[in-house]
Amino acid sequence: MANWSPYDNNGGTCVAIAGANYCVIAADTRMSTGYSILTRDYSKICKLADKSVMASSGFQADVRALQKVLAARHSIYQHQHNKQMSCPAMAQLLSNTLYYKRFFPYYAFNVLGGLDNEGKGCVFTYDAVGSYERVGYSVQGSGSTLIMPFLDNQLKSPSPLLLPAKDAVTPLSEPEAIDLVKTCFASATERDIYTGDKLEIMVLNVDGIRCEYMELRKD
Amino acid sequence: MLDRAARSTKPGPVTFGILLKLDLESPPSQHSPKTALRFAYSSLSSSSKFQQSPPMSIFEYNGSAVIAMVGKNCFAIASDRRLGVQLQTIATDFQKIYRVHDKLFIGLSGLATDAQTLYQRLVFRHKLYELREERNMKPETFASLVSALLYEKRFGPYFCQPVIAGLGDENKPFICTMDSIGAKELAKDFVVSGTASESLYGACEAMFKPDMEPEELFETISQALLSSVDRDCLSGWGGHVYVVTPTEVTERILKGRMD
Repeated sequence: MANWSPYDNNGGTCVAIAGANYCVIAADTRMSTGYSILTRDYSKICKLADKSVMASSGFQADVRALQKVLAARHSIYQHQHNKQMSCPAMAQLLSNTLYYKRFFPYYAFNVLGGLDNEGKGCVFTYDAVGSYERVGYSVQGSGSTLIMPFLDNQLKSPSPLLLPAKDAVTPLSEPEAIDLVKTCFASATERDIYTGDKLEIMVLNVDGIRCEYMELRKD
Repeated sequence: MLDRAARSTKPGPVTFGILLKLDLESPPSQHSPKTALRFAYSSLSSSSKFQQSPPMSIFEYNGSAVIAMVGKNCFAIASDRRLGVQLQTIATDFQKIYRVHDKLFIGLSGLATDAQTLYQRLVFRHKLYELREERNMKPETFASLVSALLYEKRFGPYFCQPVIAGLGDENKPFICTMDSIGAKELAKDFVVSGTASESLYGACEAMFKPDMEPEELFETISQALLSSVDRDCLSGWGGHVYVVTPTEVTERILKGRMD
């Protein structure tokens, strides 16, 4: 009790890739604490609106609280504007919600994926206190150090400092992006004890949201 | 009172990045207004409840990335070229891979001064072996020698994590790594070490294929090295790659991002 902390780390890895007309958001379903696995079937992905999906690793109790706040804010938005929130708007809302608790943060590392108003794929990546950036691909969580260099290698994005600004979306087709995500997780699962059990992949495109699963190592 | 508060605003010791610890016993209300302000400032700037970074590891003082991979009757060993002192880059052509003989290489990551000292002792021991036995050392034997030298210093170790790669009997590739006190870890596919080791593990796990020919092995190890060091602040500035086959040794220098 003397060393009690309001935070825990439940591990897990989240990846998102944006394409020209789709977005892939994936996360493993393992939830751990320390060396123990709490459950092998916990979804880290949350649908916030018709065209935005959030995957979060970190402290899952904080993540749930965050999801609840966002759901409440989104329902108010729907009553006021009579429409679903767009993904870039949800991105700003998520940033503001995180920064609102700047001095007692949500211990949540999020990636937000979806389709923007033109139907282009978009990925937003965050830190725990709401600093965010629109990118072409992103990875967060315990396996991020293992996956990031591989994604860099496969999808090298243009520098955000270039003028005129270049599109950050990846050149891959939708099935290629899904395959890449599967490869990433299969590799990260080999070396990261907090990643494994099952991979949940959400695919957003003009047809709506589709969900796929792939089994991962369970050790 | 003022004296103590003033002391607590001084920056912490810089040598190994040990974090400044604040004495928070007496409440700020007991200070004079000016002292209380300084107290509040110092506790905000240097002590956060959430992000207390651990003291820097001596293994991360100079920064390094070393990797070895096995191919079909060949192997490759590669490293970055940066030598730094914490965040400052000192040299960008630093050798971390050493040739023991034409079919045996050792890469030493970790504290550069210990790496060089250890290498000198290894050269010495290898020369004695050559004189007595009139032949080159086998990679397995050499790995045991390194392990023994490291364990000799069990309670005051060389702060190095070696990677050993060589061609053994009938040109069978051999790679292994060990920790700073000599616990050997033999691998069939690839081994990594250094400050970029986690990135390297991820890259290798995704890129490695068994039984690659020398050209493909070179491409794979180079891609893995360059993409990994670009995500590590302490290693980079290009790379050294050696590809070793039974008949030849190819050394190549890679250009990379210079940041």
